Amino acid sequence: MTIDELNRRVSAARDEVEARGETFYPGASRVHLAAFPPRERWNDWVELDSKSWPKRVEKRYMLVPTTCFNCESACGLLAYVDRDTLQVRKFEGNPEHPGSRGRNCAKGPATINQITDPDRILYPLRRAGARGEGKWEQVSWDDALDDIAARIRACLEEERHEQVMYHVGRPGEDGYTTRMLAAWGVDGHNSHTNVCSSGARSGYHWWMGMDRPSPDHANAKVILLVSSHLETGHYFNPHAQRIIEGKKNGAKLIVLDTRLSNTATHADHWLSPYPGSEPAIFLAVANWMIQERRYDREFVRRWWNWQEYMEVVQGEPDASFERFEEVLSEFYSTYTFDFAAAESGIDVDALRQIAEEISNAGTCLASYNWRSAGSGNLGGWQVARTMTLLSALLGALATEGGTFPNSWNKFTPKPPRLPHQHPTRWNDVLWPDEYPLALMEMSFLMPHLMKDQDAFVDVYFTRVYNPVWTNPDGFSWIEMLTDESRIGQHIAMTPTWNETAYFADYVLPMGHSSERHDLTSYEQYDGQWIGFRQPVLRAARERLGEEIADTRDVNPGEVWEENEFWIELTWRIDPDGSLGIRQFFESVKNPGEKMTVDEYYGWIFENSVPGLPDAAAAEGITPLEYMRRFGAFEVAQKVGQVHEQQVPDVELDDVRVDEAGRVFTHAPVPPSPKAPGGTKIDPDEDGRRRVGVRVDGEILKGWPTPTGKLEFWSRTLHEWGWPELATPTYVKSHVHRQNLDSDQMPLITTFRVPVQIHTRSANSKWLDEIAHTNPLWIHPTDASRLGIDKTGDLVRVETEIGYFVLKAWITEGIRPGVAACSHHMGRWKPEGHEGQRIGMMTVALDQQGSDWGLTRKKGGGAFESSDPDTLRVWWTDVGVHQNLTHPVHPDPISGMHCWHQAVRIYPARPGDAFGDVSVDTAKSRAVYEKWLEMTRAASIHSPDGMRRPWWMLRPVRPERAAYALPESEPVGA
Amino acid sequence: MPEALPTPIHALRGLAVFAESPSEEHTDIADALGLTTVPTPAEYSDLFLFQLYPYASVYLGPEGMMGGLARERIAGFWNAVGLTPPPEPDHLAALLGLYASLTERASDTDPDQAAESALAGQAARALLDEHLAPWVFGWLNRMEELASGTYAAWAVLLRELLSGELRRSPVADSGEVGSHARAKARPDDDEAGAVLQHLRDAPPLPDPRTDGTSDFIAGLLAPVRCGMVLTRADLAGMARMLDLGLRAGERRYALEHLLAQDAGPTLKALALEARRQGDAHRQRVSWLGESAMYMMRRTEIAATLCDELSMDGLS
Repeated sequence: MTIDELNRRVSAARDEVEARGETFYPGASRVHLAAFPPRERWNDWVELDSKSWPKRVEKRYMLVPTTCFNCESACGLLAYVDRDTLQVRKFEGNPEHPGSRGRNCAKGPATINQITDPDRILYPLRRAGARGEGKWEQVSWDDALDDIAARIRACLEEERHEQVMYHVGRPGEDGYTTRMLAAWGVDGHNSHTNVCSSGARSGYHWWMGMDRPSPDHANAKVILLVSSHLETGHYFNPHAQRIIEGKKNGAKLIVLDTRLSNTATHADHWLSPYPGSEPAIFLAVANWMIQERRYDREFVRRWWNWQEYMEVVQGEPDASFERFEEVLSEFYSTYTFDFAAAESGIDVDALRQIAEEISNAGTCLASYNWRSAGSGNLGGWQVARTMTLLSALLGALATEGGTFPNSWNKFTPKPPRLPHQHPTRWNDVLWPDEYPLALMEMSFLMPHLMKDQDAFVDVYFTRVYNPVWTNPDGFSWIEMLTDESRIGQHIAMTPTWNETAYFADYVLPMGHSSERHDLTSYEQYDGQWIGFRQPVLRAARERLGEEIADTRDVNPGEVWEENEFWIELTWRIDPDGSLGIRQFFESVKNPGEKMTVDEYYGWIFENSVPGLPDAAAAEGITPLEYMRRFGAFEVAQKVGQVHEQQVPDVELDDVRVDEAGRVFTHAPVPPSPKAPGGTKIDPDEDGRRRVGVRVDGEILKGWPTPTGKLEFWSRTLHEWGWPELATPTYVKSHVHRQNLDSDQMPLITTFRVPVQIHTRSANSKWLDEIAHTNPLWIHPTDASRLGIDKTGDLVRVETEIGYFVLKAWITEGIRPGVAACSHHMGRWKPEGHEGQRIGMMTVALDQQGSDWGLTRKKGGGAFESSDPDTLRVWWTDVGVHQNLTHPVHPDPISGMHCWHQAVRIYPARPGDAFGDVSVDTAKSRAVYEKWLEMTRAASIHSPDGMRRPWWMLRPVRPERAAYALPESEPVGA
Repeated sequence: MPEALPTPIHALRGLAVFAESPSEEHTDIADALGLTTVPTPAEYSDLFLFQLYPYASVYLGPEGMMGGLARERIAGFWNAVGLTPPPEPDHLAALLGLYASLTERASDTDPDQAAESALAGQAARALLDEHLAPWVFGWLNRMEELASGTYAAWAVLLRELLSGELRRSPVADSGEVGSHARAKARPDDDEAGAVLQHLRDAPPLPDPRTDGTSDFIAGLLAPVRCGMVLTRADLAGMARMLDLGLRAGERRYALEHLLAQDAGPTLKALALEARRQGDAHRQRVSWLGESAMYMMRRTEIAATLCDELSMDGLS
């Protein structure tokens, strides 16, 4: 029989078998050019059970979508809920999610580790001994809620609003808790952002009035990264897949990273600059583009606020654009390639080459800085500001293949019962006088500011946040948390044990990604989407006809979700509505009754998400059912250049155009389905609101900056005491060569290891097996010079306030003269404490006055638990906690903690042991005070008697009156 | 010139099924293919789990093991054609399934899909040339030698089908797509087939006199370095023939101990086996081209080295 005859026979046999509705080709040979279960079969999906191999056992699943809660990307997940046991068996990608498109990094599927972690916290706990002693008792949710609610109520009744604080690490949601705090009237929103991304975000904010970039990587010609996007960077997976798409389409990838990161290995041009010199490189590229006239003159003329600059700085109010170009050319002329080469250590030829590449990209330059250099250096915010200068020169903003501002690629729908009031009292601990231009709260200075202001926080929530481990100067945090004259009650809301929770009064178990409701939207391409995180077992059981009123009924133990928790807590704070806050958590349909999560999200999906009701109707289901079924919805594609859009006539009523071209109107703000937010621009003297900007005779929407233009020059920076930094420029880092002693070198600490995510993933056995330690990257020439013989040798790294001991990794993947150590790893629990075992060492803490020591008593390793895999843990090295030895380095403008350290490195000394940490918190206090001297306080420099420029972004914005500087000297000045 | 017949996709998919563990569901396919019975799990385990691992990376990677650069290259190929690589992207069943899918796509006659169809055809040819042909014919030959019954017949059918594909399907001429026609040795190449991706950088068989015995043994177990596939059965046969003890364990362990017991005769036996498999490669040169030539030369080098060592002694 010939092969073709055989082929016909097999084909006929296949037809016959498949006509019976049976599968003909089993297994891997059945490859088809599709990768995901089709959504019409999600309700009853059949797969072979991998654990039954080699037997072919079919498992029936209900595929329920949710979103990942590990990093901020909120990638889509599909929970495979076993229809027999109603347990989640695994997580895979959700192909319906517009951001992640079915793809996940290792952290998404590892969610199954987190929900089955044998050491997770399953019940509310209350401390039974002294704070930090490690003694706990199980407590009912009712008791915990009553106790916490009573304290908060007392704070509100006694006008102590500033003593209630919510400190968030991974927000993972849009608007729920800020709405709640606004309802409470509390200016107590405290984010982690100033140890994370404020540096870069500040740089974007000064240009655009929006603080995050949304690069269109997939359509770019050149992708310029100051980050490690292909392995760990912000929105890692959604961006990484689009970067690869861009590369497949021919885009060139330029990566600035002092380390040879995985991202750098994929680059067409990898530049390894001396830390902090990145702005010098960008300014040299900008200068070359300006001198060579390789920029988009028309874009610059139309959209930069060059007229304002010429008027105020140059004293030439009537200057022509050509005159501005002359000034611009002169202004940057000192930033030559030679200058940048001397600062960065990168060859002139390499710099010229990337300048050519960037300028050739035209409007298709996708650029991005998130943490990395922007978070490492004094003046790090100028990394994003100078990088955006390149985009602004090329007109590569909000263009296909360019970089969009976040707000245009993000959709945060308006919730029901939006609070109308704003907090009336300013929180000085979070927004101190010395840092009026900080993008976000000065959260990491809290131990010092509390002392300065002799402040007391009566109710302090840490919510999925771990400042003792994550922040610099962790021992000062322990000192604060254990001082009951500073912190009245500390409530740690966390799915898993962390270093901060050990110093709490209550530990409240919160849900992982498949155990909670959240609504998110993130800028990941030129489009807008919403993603719905949901308790998947609740959704599964509801599909089977059950009614679930409380997510605790389906979660493990008594794990709760925050949405329901906050509703319940608010009702207990204000049971009779007399405080005026309960109303915001009452049902819309049935006033006087509690709002449910179904009603909250159902209202949003029906009323605030354009297109969703129609899409749901097409499926014959409600909008809420649609989101529970598919998990995500794309609201818009190709948003494009919002700044170029004409203001509709309906918004132009009694218009006035001022000298700067800003257009004001008496027309009311049209209704919008989006939640309010963003910058606030003052009305004109007659109360007209700013509606746009006139450009070449057209009234266009423009940018949400004070001028409505892209702010090359910032009047705000100029008037608030920083005229020398009002334009994109170069600030020499605190680790610049001239600031180091001859025996010091910079230590880079701002990078993740590829599969881990800060404090949140230590309880994932799969991720821990892949990455569990953080050695010191050191170049062979430095190792040789310092007497470090080989990889694995112990070294002591001395910072300004102490030292830590770890293993060396001698590698050519780091620039000579620079060392690096990932801030991930080094997780610990004190001796005598229950808690997480996988991924954590056990340590002894020792305090003698301001001298603190941490000694590793036991590393990781195997242990017996309900999960047999924990007996297979083969690694004991879980890294070293270096952040404890970092003093605070607050940038005086952005407020960002400047992570890079000036260190001395030695071979370990006799008596040094791996994991040792030693710190003097008195020294950390002295470093804080030294950096404080760089600030320019609002009370001295404010041009208008305000604590902070009104227009700037701010979460939970207080009412306008609260912005006024107090008449007396501010607390702590 | 007569129009080429389309790829026998169904026969190919059906044959691919038998590279996976057998089950009752294979009965229909076995019948259609004219295979007498579905193999038993024991037969499958012996052949696929202990003798001839059905993974391309074992035969194309310099380590002679599953995974590594060879698997990554193949995973990269899956990515390049827009598919998420499966957990075992280099498993024979997956590769055959992928080849079937690509040829199926290539046969799409919709004029709007002409460009995609052409690309799929080129990709299929590249898959065959780069990731299957350099190893699968030698592997099937060993299967025919070691197996009996269904698997021996299966190997013959699969060899006929794939060799037919090589002879029949159009040769890609893109600079990025590998092909045997293009894979003529470049004038400055020492070794034939050096432009094929996996073979291009394959290191030679280490000489234990300069590189150490450990690397030499590892090289003998890496087909891309020595040109031959040494199975457990081969080692057992050598032990019997030389009256040596066969230590139970992985192949490397067994080979180490054969050499430790009596290096000279073991090396001679290895040389003999290399020449025997080299002869099989030689017979394929006429239709398989330069990759068979490459493997043949590698066996010649291995045989010569083993002969030399058998006389010089192995330290």
